[in-house]
Amino acid sequence: MRVFLDHNAGTAVRPEAAAAISRVLSGGEGNPSSVHRAGQWARRTLENARAQVADLIDADAREIVFTSGGTESNNLAIEGVLRRAGSRRRVVTSAIEHSSILAPLMNLESRGFEIVRIRPDRDGRVSPCHVVETIDESTALVTLGLVNAEVGVIQNLDGIAARAADAGAVFHLDAAQAAGRVAIDVAALDCDLMTLSGHKIGAPAGIGALYIRDDCEIAPILLGGPQERGRRAGTQNLVGAAAFGAAAQAARIAMASERERVRGLSERLLSGLMTRIPGLRLNGPADGRLANTLNLTFPRVLGESMLIALDLEGVEVSMGSACAAGAVEPSHVLIAMGRSAAEARSSLRMSLGWNTTSEEIAAAIDIIPRVWRRVAAAEPAEIGEAV
Amino acid sequence: MGARVMVAMSGGVDSSVAAALLCESGYEVVGVAMRLTPEAAHLPRRRATCCSHEDFEDARRVAERMNFPFYVVDLREDFAARVIGNFVSEYLAGRTPNPCVMCNREIKFDRLWQRARAIGADYVATGHYARILRGADGRFRLMRAADNSKDQSYFLFSLRQEELSRTIFPLGAMAKSEVRARARELGLANADKPESQEICFVPDGDYAGFVERAAGRGDVRGGAVVDSSGNTLARHAGIHHFTIGQRRGLGVAAGEPMYVRRIDSHNGTVVVGRRDELGAAGLIAREVSLVDWQCERGTPHRVDVKIRYRQTPVPAELSIGPDCRAQVRFLEGRPAVTPGQACVFYRDDEVVGGGFIERALEA
Repeated sequence: MRVFLDHNAGTAVRPEAAAAISRVLSGGEGNPSSVHRAGQWARRTLENARAQVADLIDADAREIVFTSGGTESNNLAIEGVLRRAGSRRRVVTSAIEHSSILAPLMNLESRGFEIVRIRPDRDGRVSPCHVVETIDESTALVTLGLVNAEVGVIQNLDGIAARAADAGAVFHLDAAQAAGRVAIDVAALDCDLMTLSGHKIGAPAGIGALYIRDDCEIAPILLGGPQERGRRAGTQNLVGAAAFGAAAQAARIAMASERERVRGLSERLLSGLMTRIPGLRLNGPADGRLANTLNLTFPRVLGESMLIALDLEGVEVSMGSACAAGAVEPSHVLIAMGRSAAEARSSLRMSLGWNTTSEEIAAAIDIIPRVWRRVAAAEPAEIGEAV
Repeated sequence: MGARVMVAMSGGVDSSVAAALLCESGYEVVGVAMRLTPEAAHLPRRRATCCSHEDFEDARRVAERMNFPFYVVDLREDFAARVIGNFVSEYLAGRTPNPCVMCNREIKFDRLWQRARAIGADYVATGHYARILRGADGRFRLMRAADNSKDQSYFLFSLRQEELSRTIFPLGAMAKSEVRARARELGLANADKPESQEICFVPDGDYAGFVERAAGRGDVRGGAVVDSSGNTLARHAGIHHFTIGQRRGLGVAAGEPMYVRRIDSHNGTVVVGRRDELGAAGLIAREVSLVDWQCERGTPHRVDVKIRYRQTPVPAELSIGPDCRAQVRFLEGRPAVTPGQACVFYRDDEVVGGGFIERALEA
């Protein structure tokens, strides 16, 4: 039996999204920018998808720009704001962001911008007071993840939007992991920009969106045609957008019931593992965490060995991020949360999704402790010991 | 599905064919590439060495083609501590280390084996050219490869019963040309890839430079180059620049070619001499291990010894002493002895054991 517990990396395509893909593929040719009727059909399909995505976050359809995914959305948000930032040289962020935030900011840093990276507490929570204090009149952009992908912590953003607006800074939220899992209302969050990703909610990879509040102006980074109201040139990915729209709608409708179901499965998995693996620790807060995400430090084993051994038994989990060569690097998020490199190397992320079954969880509770005992017996005991 | 075997894959033709052969024999193959050196991603392209990003991709392609799972495992810390650290300290002590032997002993057949057990593998396989035979008594014997020109049993002398019982060398009975032919048959893209020659973590071959960068200048001391009578002929920049038999780079202008005879680490002196002064009567080996040979201590035994990888074995008398040491006396000729290198004991085609050369015996 295959047990897929890596939904934060990319979840299965929802049947509604698959159906939308088939409809577009069999609907014939058509470029949404074309004048003829095929073009008009394509445009209708695209705008319908845009409205569906907008609904997921209570936005207006005009505020949704389709992109190739979360990485492009984050790059567009950062670069698009900074190109219009004038004399403002500061960016406020946290130390636990996704690589598509970290890397563009490192690039800005090398161009002379000041990047302030707020460190989280031991549970991965970024203090909103700390963020607020750091925003000043020279701040161009505040960019934060609404939910952290590795530990699932949901950030408290109290006062940040108001302070950013006050200081004249743009407020960007990376909601790639949050959308479809927690209810999002962009008006209540009061952000200017928000990143969304298709394959985290049940569309295929290759489609994403950036919410750009109507009164927020950013510079395009892809130049060309007038698509997406001049904010992102290039013929739209109609198949992807239709799938994204369908997945967004399905996720929105099922959100409350899915969340409760996933919470039940996740709690069962956690308690099942805790009772069978003495010394197992959960990273991240007990509350204020995405129900689907379990980041666990396993005693006396290397996560890399666990990951491989579990995969060979059919249980697919993840750890940190893969380097170019395919080896696994310890999670920068856990390190920023104050864990030692050894602890980070002994930690695995298990993330459940919309189609996780009770049978999968039962199998995981059976297999994971068994594999842990074997790995712990085979490899040196000092590795992964708590510091 | 047969027994699970973890195959150490470098991306080269040998380990690729080894993995493919095991697949065809019905084993459940798990391919693993070891990430050993931190610089791997930044090495110049097309270098004949293992561990670069492209080599991992070659290995991955083989796994995809043969449809078995493949992973990269990070053994950089162990490799730095147990292989590179040893390499540097040996050079600084005036010896010439063989990191491939250390890598086999400390990484492939130790750490990697632990990893194999962790993932539930029954065996570890590599693309080494050597054979393992199981006798009627159930004991395992380590044998030279069928293809003598490719034989790598020299690098494997430290394997003992426990390791041999869970190790497979699928290429031991094959010739290199057969391996390349099999690679082409299997459609492996790396069939004609050049063989790796250099030490993988020193791809430019500048061992002295590597030792200096790793050790720091403080540990490097200059000294004198002297002749056999003790006359100083030149100054040198550190004993790690020298190996026994070396002729170039001595800074000595003598009428006839001079070679490094001996390196004295305590005073940093390099002793040079004529070619006919190079040889030794025997050697003392340390960290001696025996594959499965219950030989009597102190009693001389007739063996053949190989004291460099690319060297024909020479007949010798071996006496096992205390403290994992052994004395070897050559029965024919006076070969040059290089401390730090492995000395491997053979009886016919069988490896009976080996050790690391501590010092030469002059007489």
